[in-house]
Amino acid sequence: MTLPPLPLTVIAGYLGAGKTTLINRLLAEDHGLKLLVMVNDFGAINIDAELLASADEDTIALTNGCVCCTMWADLFMAMGDALDRRPRPDHLIVEASGVADPARIANASIAEPEMTYAGIVTVVDGQAFESLSRDELVGPQICGQVSQSDLILVSKTMSLDPGFADTLNELSNAPVLLIEGAENLAALILGSIERTGPGVPKTAHPTHVSWSYTGDTRLNRKEIEFCLQHRPTGLFRLKGTIADHDSGFWEIHVVGDRVTISETASSSGTKLVGIGLKARTSSAEIENWWGMAIKKRPPRSSKVRRD
Amino acid sequence: MSRITVFESKKIITMDRNCPEATHVAVQDGRILAVGSADCADQWGSVRHDSSLADAVLMPGFVEGHAHMMAGAIWDYAYAGYHDRIDPDGQLWPGRRTIEAVVAGLAEVAATLPAGAPLIGWGFDPIFLRDERLNRTHLDRIGADRPVVILFSNFHLLCANSVALEMAGFDSSTNLEGVVKGTDGNPTGELQEMAAMFPIMRRLGIDFRSISQRESSIRSYAKVANRVGVTTVTDLFSEMQDDDLDVMLRVTGAPDFPLRIVPALGAMGATPDEIAARALTLRGLSTDKLRLGAVKLMTDGSIQGWTARVKWPGYVGGQPNGIWNLAPDQIHALCAAMQAAGVQMHIHVNGDQASEIAIDAIEAAIRSHPWAGHRHVLQHGQMMGDDQFRRCAELGIAVNLFANHIWYFGDQHAALTIGEDRARRMDAVRSALDAGVHVAVHSDAPVTPLGPLFTAWCAVNRQTMTGRTLGTAQCVSVPEALFAITLGAAYTLKLDGEIGSVETGKRADFAVLGDDPLAVDPAGLRDVPVLGTVFGGAVHLP
Repeated sequence: MTLPPLPLTVIAGYLGAGKTTLINRLLAEDHGLKLLVMVNDFGAINIDAELLASADEDTIALTNGCVCCTMWADLFMAMGDALDRRPRPDHLIVEASGVADPARIANASIAEPEMTYAGIVTVVDGQAFESLSRDELVGPQICGQVSQSDLILVSKTMSLDPGFADTLNELSNAPVLLIEGAENLAALILGSIERTGPGVPKTAHPTHVSWSYTGDTRLNRKEIEFCLQHRPTGLFRLKGTIADHDSGFWEIHVVGDRVTISETASSSGTKLVGIGLKARTSSAEIENWWGMAIKKRPPRSSKVRRD
Repeated sequence: MSRITVFESKKIITMDRNCPEATHVAVQDGRILAVGSADCADQWGSVRHDSSLADAVLMPGFVEGHAHMMAGAIWDYAYAGYHDRIDPDGQLWPGRRTIEAVVAGLAEVAATLPAGAPLIGWGFDPIFLRDERLNRTHLDRIGADRPVVILFSNFHLLCANSVALEMAGFDSSTNLEGVVKGTDGNPTGELQEMAAMFPIMRRLGIDFRSISQRESSIRSYAKVANRVGVTTVTDLFSEMQDDDLDVMLRVTGAPDFPLRIVPALGAMGATPDEIAARALTLRGLSTDKLRLGAVKLMTDGSIQGWTARVKWPGYVGGQPNGIWNLAPDQIHALCAAMQAAGVQMHIHVNGDQASEIAIDAIEAAIRSHPWAGHRHVLQHGQMMGDDQFRRCAELGIAVNLFANHIWYFGDQHAALTIGEDRARRMDAVRSALDAGVHVAVHSDAPVTPLGPLFTAWCAVNRQTMTGRTLGTAQCVSVPEALFAITLGAAYTLKLDGEIGSVETGKRADFAVLGDDPLAVDPAGLRDVPVLGTVFGGAVHLP
């Protein structure tokens, strides 16, 4: 039996940026996924007693099926072990160390056929980032984490200073979100909408919109490429399969700017799930884009993406 | 039979100032009972004389303060490097000076393998073969019906043949920076960095930790050490999982296992306090031949990879400054936690900015948590200047300098990395000694071959591969270099009370030599034959 590939999300950010806080949230959020989370600061993982199934020196198991563990010194070995776990987790999250180059980790999910790239999320400290980014010793590495990211989460601030937003935008065209008040982060970070269903989630401050399609649309690779080139800029994630005109199927993975189209043998038809940033797009815009796309012509409203 | 054995030798260089030279050493229960002439132990009772080493010169067993267990296990793979190298069983693997020679050499090995079995080579270094880039078509000629992979000497790159690329699913549609593509859009076979190497290594079972922790690998490490006179060796970045520890304890605990191993726990993937706690737990599990409890910090990268953190004026080619594996803040936090817990640190510092930050961090830790006997060690310390050595002396920091680099990479450093001035003062053993620092020198095996006499030769002669002397001002005398590979290195492991000299009360660990290193021309120090070792009084001649 072939197992589904393991999606990998890398969470980057300098020391104290708030990576562990984010991971604590992801472990506890109601996303319905069995996460395997590998962290640097095991002691800071703070699990509600109700959610705690078992814990030993370097592994915590949660009642929701998630597992959190230390990775110790050899990250790639730990990644291999994650792939060998049975049952295989639904999603792997790696907390990169403070100055790690997150792409060097995330690239493994692009290279490894049994994994899929689910993105680099960089957490930046809204108070400390500007001065850190100019630090002679660590500035270039910290800025590198931001420029490699698909999603930037800003912590420790309630509002985004325009000058700070400019600093981040100079480094990256990834969307920027404030962690404070953001809900359902799992949808953006993990691509999970199983629990909420399509549309705008019914929470107080949703950060995302979702969209899905199931139907008998058929597209060839060229048509898919064209269609994805014109996707709405706020469509952050898109995954699923598209039937070709003949018997084949294409598997689609979009995270931020990264598009992967690969042949796949098994599929029941054309099925897509998209997640967009609420501040940048809407379900209607995505639906409109797709409606145009399946008529195989470019939509009028969307801008052509930089990639 | 008497419990006292008196070994006769041509000469013993003791490294003990009270009795620098001797001809006989008496051993009881694995320890040195007396040193001197034939009658040295007579006052202790009846003795048994052993003349099997009568034609040899004895020294204290050599101590390699910076090497890796993989130096043994890597010989599971076929050597494909530029320089001649000797495997654990004594077989010479001639250096492969052209790509054709690499192909021919590995094809011979392939012919001995079962059909379809993977062939894995190691040690290839493109810096010495610059005319053509190794690619999969070369490797397909080694084997077109089996996976063939050659690991490069820095372990950051590999080259794979078509079968191996196919196993990992790499083809023209692969779109990843580390998967190098040719003008035809297909992968050339060269894979750069772990992410790109991972799918191949996983499918072929190339796992440096597990190959290093097999029983046979640990025994191979002992064989490699035995051939070069080493009786105490480090494994300077160890995962030390519980399973690994069980295997290590079992293998090293065998009475005929002739090596003391000092692993240092890699300080990564957990918080400083967790790492310190683990190190202390491990320390409690130490045995005579397995000394646990130290940790290893990786601060920067390598100079020849332009990833070392260097101070102004940086790299001569204008490359950006290198990378931190640990942020300076993390280095400070780790130093504080280890110092507070009483855990000794070995700190990898190649560039002078990295060594400066490490010294700063230790100084800060010492102010918060006084501990005079910490003996933290800066490892490599390749670009340290006199100022940094003086600070080390003040702070009680020892250094273990990478003398082998002078021969293997000295020319490259002068021409391509840090330029002439700073290359001349690289691995500045003279400066360190003059500043009053405790000094060891090392090989970083398998990066360069294990062989303390060769390492000592490098410190004495500072000769590069092209034959020039790189920085005569930093040359040291033969006795100073011999001290660095015995007592100097033992000091960095806090074992100088037990090993490092031939002295009453210490372990009866000797290097058995075919010539007198103090009598030969210093330029010939590396050619002094090593016949084997004595470990705990038992003779081990391979």
